Amino acid sequence: MLKSADDGTLTAQSQPGGGLERWAERHLRYLMLAPTVLTLLALTIFPSLYMFYAAVHRISPNPDLPWEFVGAGNFARLLSDAQFHVALRNTILFTVVAVTVEFVLGLGLALLLDKFIRRLTFLKTVLMIPMMLPPIAVAITWKLIYEPQFGVLNEIMYRLGLPLQAWAGDVNLAMFSIIVADVWQWTPFIFLLMLAGLASLPVEPYEAAALDGASSWRQFWDLTLPFLKPVIAIALLLRVMDALRLFDLVFILTGGGPADRTKVLSLYIYQVAYRFADPGYAAAISLFVLFVTIVLSTWFMKRMRVTD
Amino acid sequence: MATKTLYRRSRTGEVLTRLSAYLAIVMALILTLFPIYWIAANSFKFDIDIFAVPPEWLPRNPTLKHYEEAFIQRPFLRYALNSFLVAVGTTIVSVVFGTMAGYALARFNYPWQWRKQISFWILSTRMMPPIVSIIPLYLFFNYFDMLNTKSALVIAYTAFNLPFATWMMKSYFQDLPVELEEAAVVDGDTRWGAFLHVALPLARPGLAATAIFCLIISWNEFLLSLIITLTEQSQTLPIGIAGRVTQYNTYWGEISAAGFMACVPIVIFAFIVQKHLVRGLSLGAVKG
Repeated sequence: MLKSADDGTLTAQSQPGGGLERWAERHLRYLMLAPTVLTLLALTIFPSLYMFYAAVHRISPNPDLPWEFVGAGNFARLLSDAQFHVALRNTILFTVVAVTVEFVLGLGLALLLDKFIRRLTFLKTVLMIPMMLPPIAVAITWKLIYEPQFGVLNEIMYRLGLPLQAWAGDVNLAMFSIIVADVWQWTPFIFLLMLAGLASLPVEPYEAAALDGASSWRQFWDLTLPFLKPVIAIALLLRVMDALRLFDLVFILTGGGPADRTKVLSLYIYQVAYRFADPGYAAAISLFVLFVTIVLSTWFMKRMRVTD
Repeated sequence: MATKTLYRRSRTGEVLTRLSAYLAIVMALILTLFPIYWIAANSFKFDIDIFAVPPEWLPRNPTLKHYEEAFIQRPFLRYALNSFLVAVGTTIVSVVFGTMAGYALARFNYPWQWRKQISFWILSTRMMPPIVSIIPLYLFFNYFDMLNTKSALVIAYTAFNLPFATWMMKSYFQDLPVELEEAAVVDGDTRWGAFLHVALPLARPGLAATAIFCLIISWNEFLLSLIITLTEQSQTLPIGIAGRVTQYNTYWGEISAAGFMACVPIVIFAFIVQKHLVRGLSLGAVKG
């Protein structure tokens, strides 16, 4: 619920000090907002505009050469660039699979454990540790686990009598390996938000449903899920936003390989900008990502209004 | 009779649920903690034991060799110090600016629905993927000769910590009763004074939680630092770790030691802010 805000007219009572102080007091609502708004304007709007400018140029790695205007040329390249299509497909694949698995696991665990874990704050916090850890530390941890020669995972495979795998180094398992590491890190996030949602459910509808003899399955579909909807929307969209910007895990675990199977958009932009030294084209790809993000986040923020 | 069987069935059902719940908790704990244990365990092993097949589940011959390598022979102490300074700088700027903006957005009215629109605009800047801004930021810092400086990192990190801090503080201030500030104003305090002397002290737990989240976000950041920093003068801990994973060799012992050390403060922080986790992780949208 939006709390009704006061309108700042409380100031009228007594106003000590000189003219400047009085002026500051009268414009307090703008002065308190100004540092944040100005900083963010400088740090986000300016770069975005600059990127439009960069995206219509070919920028030479040699800083002494002038930028060459190419109009929509960089955007046209998006259509025919096979590498970009691979990166886009990998990003979508990763986002859909990872977020779905995290959601199903997180919600399932929350439903199963809600009653048992509600007061066990310490245990809950322990389970939340993975998502707070530096992604780079998570990446090297999983690199160690996936290591084909002396890694733990292949030891388990060996004990179970299953064929050993190259995991992050295998063409077919590389994306799977990235997803497993991401699921390990981020399932707790869904779990935590779902627990918070479940804790705020009203009791009365369930009592009524139980009196009517509704099965627990019916109660889940007709009561729990609709009540949780705002929290689910927030959790999913925050996860999707994060999944779309995946970089650290891929950078350490696979470097985008093997055979580009894990090359995601962030990594491709990084490669185009630095390894291929083509910032103009990288800016065009970035604008595409920005566009997708704006569309998604607008939808997200409409959902936020539900709980704000 | 009928009620009896019903009673009995639901009882077995309850025992089953209870059993599967405990089983799930134990499984979740093992899966959560094993990778963390594993990196810690490997950081205390000699190289030869790291490469052992089958793996050595407990370090039989523990050593601090890799900690010495990383933090004394190689500049990981320097990286950690850079990470810390950048995180503190970013946090101070973000929390000071964000608290004022959060308060303003929670309490004041603006013409033309600015309140709502500015709130959502600030949030939308948080949604911007960092990869999108690396090119302009790189060119910008290059132009001002600020590449490879810690101030450049503070500026870049503020871009996504400030919206976070603003929304967090806004949600905490919205939870405070406005009447106390009204009373202070009636008693002759200024509006700014009511914020400073009444609202701010009440919001102290929220302020601490917001600051810790900002520290964590900055401490963990990788991509922007990868672009902006070049040498150990400004490189942060994640960059230092990534730098020891090369095409030809991965220095397992060293990165395990440094990686584990990078995790330790985060785990401590997690316990300090455990009551605020839900709110912090949902940008104040869900109140846990």
